[in-house]
Amino acid sequence: MILLGEPMADVESASFYFLLPAGNAFYPEGCSGAGEVILDWLLRGAGQRNSRCLIESLDELGIHRNCAVTAENLSLSASLESANLLAALDIYADILTAPLLEDDQFEPSRQLALHELAALDDDPQHKVRLLVTEQYYPRPYNRPAEGKQGDLEGLTADCCRRIIQQQFDWSQCIFSVAGKYDFSSVCSLLEKRFAHLSGTGVRRPTAGQRGQQYTHLANEGAQVHIGLMTAVPTIQDAHYYDIMGAVSILSGGMSSRLFTEVREKRGLCYTVGARYQSLKDHAAISCYTGTTPDQAQQTLEVTVEQFRRLREGFSEDELHRAKIGLKSTLIMQSESSAARAAGIAGDHYYLGRVRTLSEIRQKIETISSSSLLAFLNANPFNEFTVATIGPKPIQL
Amino acid sequence: MTFKHRQLDNGLTIIGEIHPQAQTAAMGFFARTGSRDETPEISGVSHFLEHMLFKGTDGLNWQQVNEAFDGIGAKFNAFTGEENTVYYAAVLSEFLPEVAKLWSQLMRPSLREEDFNIEKNVILQEIAMYKDMPQFDVLDQARALHFGSHPCGNSTLGTEQTIGDLKVGQMREYFDRRYASNNLVAAACGNFDFDHFCELIASICGSWKPAVAERPLSFYEGTRQKKHIQKDTLARHHICMISPMVSMQDPRRFAASLLGMIIGDDSGSRYFWSLVDPAIAEAASMQAETMDGVGAMYSYICCEPAASGKVADIIRGIFMDLSKNGIQGNELKAAKNKVLSALTIKSEQPMGRLFGLGFNWVYSRQYRTLAEDIEAVRAVTVADINHLISEFHPGDFSCLSMGPQTQETPLF
Repeated sequence: MILLGEPMADVESASFYFLLPAGNAFYPEGCSGAGEVILDWLLRGAGQRNSRCLIESLDELGIHRNCAVTAENLSLSASLESANLLAALDIYADILTAPLLEDDQFEPSRQLALHELAALDDDPQHKVRLLVTEQYYPRPYNRPAEGKQGDLEGLTADCCRRIIQQQFDWSQCIFSVAGKYDFSSVCSLLEKRFAHLSGTGVRRPTAGQRGQQYTHLANEGAQVHIGLMTAVPTIQDAHYYDIMGAVSILSGGMSSRLFTEVREKRGLCYTVGARYQSLKDHAAISCYTGTTPDQAQQTLEVTVEQFRRLREGFSEDELHRAKIGLKSTLIMQSESSAARAAGIAGDHYYLGRVRTLSEIRQKIETISSSSLLAFLNANPFNEFTVATIGPKPIQL
Repeated sequence: MTFKHRQLDNGLTIIGEIHPQAQTAAMGFFARTGSRDETPEISGVSHFLEHMLFKGTDGLNWQQVNEAFDGIGAKFNAFTGEENTVYYAAVLSEFLPEVAKLWSQLMRPSLREEDFNIEKNVILQEIAMYKDMPQFDVLDQARALHFGSHPCGNSTLGTEQTIGDLKVGQMREYFDRRYASNNLVAAACGNFDFDHFCELIASICGSWKPAVAERPLSFYEGTRQKKHIQKDTLARHHICMISPMVSMQDPRRFAASLLGMIIGDDSGSRYFWSLVDPAIAEAASMQAETMDGVGAMYSYICCEPAASGKVADIIRGIFMDLSKNGIQGNELKAAKNKVLSALTIKSEQPMGRLFGLGFNWVYSRQYRTLAEDIEAVRAVTVADINHLISEFHPGDFSCLSMGPQTQETPLF
């Protein structure tokens, strides 16, 4: 288990982040959605506390908690007043290492996951992002965190217990803390609670086939929701900062290409945006927009055109704005203990080391027209995976 | 943190909270105007006007505006509600003068007809987008049902009809009345020089004219009507309940906010234990919305259609128990801890302080330090909250539901 800490001046809060490589891709076939169920189940009693007592103890400490599951990871994180940090960590150690996992508490966890999956039908904007992600990433890294209905219906308490036993590999767990804390006290507490636990030898599954290029789901809504993804290198790549520059030119602010061309000049949509997302071995620029059915075809075409036209060039002003936008985001995040705790855990997971803020800042400075164009020429955005939800399909 | 305040001769107020250690700064203009200040024929104009401010001035077109914000790495946006339209940005401290200058210029937009016509499409797209989001649609329609003829029931977005029919001349007339200098507050938080900030604002805004920008205030109990809308395309049952509560000017607003958390926080609340924990509903929340002279408690529940009757029974039971037995001391203690730690964490960034700073001034002409807010939360007692319950009867609400099923017998 790796323990990381980054102190911050002038804050009274602390945030911590536990990251386990136990995401959806690592589960047996037919268990998609198990991560969501497990995260809910873990909080239904741990150590000496039953479900109600556990939640009350967390609330009493004023903890703002979050948990998430992706294809690769499970994470549990929290922000709180620094004085309560050690008490909170002690409870989190119970949740992670001594959950009660009672049979009668499993069913409501599974039912909630089923309800949340069904509720996606009333949230097409979210659903289209899942749909395109599922087609874009190779199996099993494409499994939606929300799971599949059939899988969730067949999921059992024993199956989830096995996943916890096998996939909670403490030798691969990353813990980070940021804000105001005493690192030696944090380390002694975690040493006491986690040091005796061992690794289980979890290995990354081999990537299989990808899905189809275009998927449409019929829905009689007011808008056509469009999700697109296109391949780019991962965060470890030498061109990573060029990719960030490209995303910033495309979608960094209101003067960005997508906002200007799709919304401001043509009034085609209200929402349009692109962002970078990365797994360890696969990455993408992912884009969403929504528009009325009569304008869906044009909206898709104008959106794709912005990606492809990027390598025809950009002005120095555009590059300057992209870089200052990236730097500004970085400095603003540095004032938030929650953002830093997540940032340093993520760095260690993807890169095996933590980048300092000044290193990132300096790398952003080095993005140049020539380095960005070199990246764009090597990655011309020729292929897109597209999904739509709406009254009728569109032509690729 | 120190507070500074100045008022220009034309009534425009400038306030600032200085955070000497901050690396970033946040600033915004608070226009005391929103959908409650609209007449039916211009429904949606406040929100449409908010979009139009980004279209520029006589000296700046929309592209130059967007480039100017992005050129200093500003994280900026605006929002329109029932009673305020707020324009804000967070920047690195060194760029505060530039962003303050830019927003000041934009507060006197050109409102060009060609920009108006293009942006009208964007607004219509936004209206279409919210139609596909029942969790917002149900709230909008429930608000209209609860407030009846009270202006707080006005839709912020307007309708396809009102936006389609709106003329740029109507918007200009509304702008002249509502964006008068005495109806605006410029606020900033962070590490900056307040005197310099004031000089900059005064040099651009000092010549603006005040006007009569009235807003009649009246408390409203709500209609307590119940309505169900059947929509075949929906998968879930969406329920919004609204009951009256104290206004933003009422010191009991801190107790109201804690009551919302006790009943409807997403963890450890009455709704959580009765509805979410046993997986009867996947979402159940309640919060207080204290407004100008009026207030309301909003609940939102989402569940499978077949469970809506059971959900209604449980909710009836929760409110019956609250009305009979009130809240418990341990519930209040947990709610306070959650509110206090959220306040502390949020306040660590200038952007987290900006809205509280601005709204305290807009509603109450008052500056409140973080310590005063913390003290006000700490001082709330079980009796204070139980008094609110007996005075406002949160279980006696207006309710709008939406779902795929017909509702032969009302939920409540």
